[in-house]
Amino acid sequence: MDQKQNALRLPAEKLYEAELQALKETDKESRPAGWQLSPKAVLTFLTGGQAGGTAITPKYIGNKRLVEMAIATLLTDRALLLIGEPGTAKSWLSENLTAAIHGDSSKVIQGTAGTSEEHIRYSWNYAMLLAQGPSDAALIKSPVFRAMETGGIARFEEISRCASEVQDALISILSEKTISIPELGREVSATRGFSVIATANTRDRGVNEMSAALKRRFNIIVLPAPSDIETEIEIVRKRVAEISGSYELKAALPDDEAVRKVVTIFRELRSGATLDGKEKVKGPSGVISTAEAISLLTGSMALAGSFGNGDITEEDIAAGLQGAIVKDDEKDRIVWKEYLDNVMKKRGATWRNLYHACSEMNQ
Amino acid sequence: MEKLVPRMLGDEPVTGGRPFHVFGIRHLSPAGAHHLLAFLDDINPTAVLIEGPADACGLIGQLTARGVVPPIAILAYTDHLPVRTLLYPYAEYSPEYQAFVWAASNGAEARFIDLPTEVSLALYDRRRGVPIMKRPDGGPEDPDSRGAFRAEQSRLFEDVVKLAGESDFESFWERQFEHNGRKDAYRKAVARYSELMRSRTEAMEWEHSPEEAAYNEVRESYMRRRIQDAIDAGHEPDRIVVVTGAHHTSAMDLRLPPIGDKEISSLPKVSTKLTLMPYSYYKLSTRSGYGAGNQAPAYYELLWDCMKRGDAAKLPAYYLSRIAEHLRAQGTFRSTASVIEGVRLAEALAALHDGSQPTWRDLQDAAVVCLGFGERSVIAEALARTDIGTAIGSLPEGVSQTPVQDDLNRELKRLKLTKYKTAVAETLELDLRENRRVQSEEAAFLDLNRSVLLHRLELLGIGFAKRQRAGQQSATWAERWDLQWTPESEIQTVESTLKGETVELAAAFALGEKLEGCADLAEASRLIRIACDCSLHKLMEDARSVLQQLAVDAGNFEQIAAAVHELSVLAQYGSIRRLDTAPLLPLLQQLFLRGSLLLLDASGCNDDAAAAMASAIQIMQGTASEHYDTVDAGLWRAKLEELAFRDDRNAKLSGLAFAILLEKNEISEEQCSREVARRLSLGIPADLGAGWFEGLAQRNRYALLSRSFLWKQLDDYIATLTPEAFQRSLVFLRRAFGAFEPREKAAVAEMMGGFWGVSAEDAAIALQEPLSEEEKEKLDELNEFDFGDL
Repeated sequence: MDQKQNALRLPAEKLYEAELQALKETDKESRPAGWQLSPKAVLTFLTGGQAGGTAITPKYIGNKRLVEMAIATLLTDRALLLIGEPGTAKSWLSENLTAAIHGDSSKVIQGTAGTSEEHIRYSWNYAMLLAQGPSDAALIKSPVFRAMETGGIARFEEISRCASEVQDALISILSEKTISIPELGREVSATRGFSVIATANTRDRGVNEMSAALKRRFNIIVLPAPSDIETEIEIVRKRVAEISGSYELKAALPDDEAVRKVVTIFRELRSGATLDGKEKVKGPSGVISTAEAISLLTGSMALAGSFGNGDITEEDIAAGLQGAIVKDDEKDRIVWKEYLDNVMKKRGATWRNLYHACSEMNQ
Repeated sequence: MEKLVPRMLGDEPVTGGRPFHVFGIRHLSPAGAHHLLAFLDDINPTAVLIEGPADACGLIGQLTARGVVPPIAILAYTDHLPVRTLLYPYAEYSPEYQAFVWAASNGAEARFIDLPTEVSLALYDRRRGVPIMKRPDGGPEDPDSRGAFRAEQSRLFEDVVKLAGESDFESFWERQFEHNGRKDAYRKAVARYSELMRSRTEAMEWEHSPEEAAYNEVRESYMRRRIQDAIDAGHEPDRIVVVTGAHHTSAMDLRLPPIGDKEISSLPKVSTKLTLMPYSYYKLSTRSGYGAGNQAPAYYELLWDCMKRGDAAKLPAYYLSRIAEHLRAQGTFRSTASVIEGVRLAEALAALHDGSQPTWRDLQDAAVVCLGFGERSVIAEALARTDIGTAIGSLPEGVSQTPVQDDLNRELKRLKLTKYKTAVAETLELDLRENRRVQSEEAAFLDLNRSVLLHRLELLGIGFAKRQRAGQQSATWAERWDLQWTPESEIQTVESTLKGETVELAAAFALGEKLEGCADLAEASRLIRIACDCSLHKLMEDARSVLQQLAVDAGNFEQIAAAVHELSVLAQYGSIRRLDTAPLLPLLQQLFLRGSLLLLDASGCNDDAAAAMASAIQIMQGTASEHYDTVDAGLWRAKLEELAFRDDRNAKLSGLAFAILLEKNEISEEQCSREVARRLSLGIPADLGAGWFEGLAQRNRYALLSRSFLWKQLDDYIATLTPEAFQRSLVFLRRAFGAFEPREKAAVAEMMGGFWGVSAEDAAIALQEPLSEEEKEKLDELNEFDFGDL
């Protein structure tokens, strides 16, 4: 319990422990081998609903159909690849799916340029290897290896960040569902329920293109940016509340007006046009996703809590916007200034204060 | 009719108290067709009564004739203008269509029992305009109220869909009804569902949209009357099956009053005719209303085929394999393994919804994931081909069609164009010249005859053929057409029936109408051209006389020039269309003469009008050189010369006339230098001088560049100008040379350099150098030059 109190960020299965427990108790449907919940209960966990007397909060807001497709994919023993722009809740969905299905979302490989085949298969404790020769005790199992043994789900974050030949180590694991250990002269076969959920970033496309052979072994689902502003506002509001709760930010939650303004600005800069479609705007070089909006608002809350009176002011938001939008110094600064003067300035009295705060910040 | 008719309550059993059988369907529902056939086999009726226009009963036999390939449609149209139409489309999997087929092969009588089209078209008009009946409280119909009803209705549907845990109504319907394979289950479930829906919305419909409700009531009482008639005609009630839309099943009860003779005769009527026409899956998928809910006809056909064979469970495999096949045909390889994974995913999705098999939506989503690798755009075209398809129906010869439809089909066959009658657009290149390598005359002029037919269709506004720009510019013998058959074009064909019995007669009628309303010379000459393209000789003559009458009073030089142009093209290339153009020549002469005489008057215009005048002069000049033996070219030349040397006409046009003469070597060097000196001399305002030069530059510039004395003259002129006047003329000269190409400008500069003693090479180098700041400033000053008089 102590650990729970002090952890900076809890894994999904801990964060929503009560909900999962309620679902487990009320779930009457049959459960596939290796699953702790039935597919329908998993769907309820992710998209919200009721379980007995417990309200289940929606984890993925927006397209319910995509969640259904993701669950159906895992039902058919296929690996799942979630693709999307940065900040479209790929990892979030992957973590919560894993938590709901297996109650353990900790078997993660983070794809980087330095990821090697050993991270995917297994490596050795070299001291022991040299002293005793190959043995089970000297074997260091990768998250995928452990998931195969226990019939769980391994997560592979940002798969397209690691080299193609490393990615291809997954091919035999996914098609034959075994890892052979020639040093020990044996093979490890996957227990039922084993699967892999990978995520990849569309911005990385072309960096390390996935091989056709590997692509074919995944069911690929593209996660879109939130389809309409109301959905996005809901997502932002919900996540900001959750995060501020766990970080104990000493500030009031941003009011609806502030959230709406930030989301409006983000959507307009992202789509390159004002919401009414009447005016074109230039987009900044960086990513301006929903996740960015969430961290912007929590950042503003931290500012207000630590240095202000606890209420988020226009200046706090302006500072956040400046940081989120102006990344590539001069060019972004001009884009942001153009947006301020061409769009925001004309929006009337309700936007006036934010406009002045932003303009001052962008000097 | 003012009294509301009470209805049976929804909780009574579906067939209770009814001596005959009712099968409620959804139009275009494969499962409906499948279960209806089984039901008909069970009951073995002597009469099958189907919701459809009663006056189309005679067409039922033809619908099932040998050689008919659905999709087809019954088209009702008013036989007077403006033409209004009603369509009843049928696919092979339409329950109604299968009922026709069953009746035909089992010797039962098939009849339509809905309102005849003459009434429904008349009522349709009424419903749009004047209300049929007053609201119970006497108030006027409120359009907002109707909208509120629609909103409430769709909210109810949304609630049902949500309760079923589906994302859209189609998935709900397919999962709940189309996939229900048990005997009788479809009929009972659909009837029960519609009855409940109806009981929830009916009272509201009467309140908010009384026209719609009343129209529905009239239809249903008419159908009851027809059922009663069938019983009276001696059919055992037990052996009658009524096939109607599910919405009407609860009203098919003879305890409710049927419509009486007096009421029938008091219904409004318009005179209508009926015909059959081929239909297309594409059109079926886009229709709203009657065909609503059939977004994927090719998919439903696949479902129907699978049901017929008794293995609906194989549908996912067939569907996804087809998509993979289309993808491979386009060059995107997808493996069988991916198809297998797709089927498994679709089945898992169906299982999540407790479905027995995947719906269309499940299959589409599975295809996006497994065959498109997450991207819908990759498989969009393959999806469209598999869902909608390019199928069109066809009718054999001898099946009821309007004369124009028949004639068009005959013509298409004669001209070997039948293969272009597809839903996919194709391009046809025509070469109108005689093909000397073939034997028969028919074959030698095949393309010409095709062109005539296509021009006639274009004239009639039938969208089957669209003319494109030919590849080679202004090649009079080449034409390029895009051909694409659509149900709309078939409807347009039927509408042409009112204009004539054949395509040719209808085209002649249409052109005749246009000629009557023609009051403009240019328009009339265009009509001559159309008559010629459509090979309507009689009308060409008519158009010629119309043109001639108009020409007598014509005073507009530009219009005359346009007419002259059309006529001259015809006279020149008419032979390619095997036309006798001789009758046109006198008219051409007459118009040309008039144009020549008008030239001087018309040239006294301002600079704005001069642009149009200039192109008209160019046309006249072109005609003069092409038809020099026909038209009075001498007079034209004389008039041009007069214009060239007149000072009181538009200077630009005078310049143009001068250029034409110069080009033709009608002006000597000495004459020329005198004229240039005069035009550009001191005292003539600089804008006039430069305007003249601008006109001069409109013709062949090489003719100018090759005459160095002209440039010498220009040089001398510039030298005489005061700095102030120089700046003024510079503005205009700059504009005159603005249209020159860089190469030509360089040539001018080098020539001027020659006069000033600069060698050609030095001049070229000077030209290549970038402008200095000072020079730029001077140029900018020029842009803001104040003329003082504006």
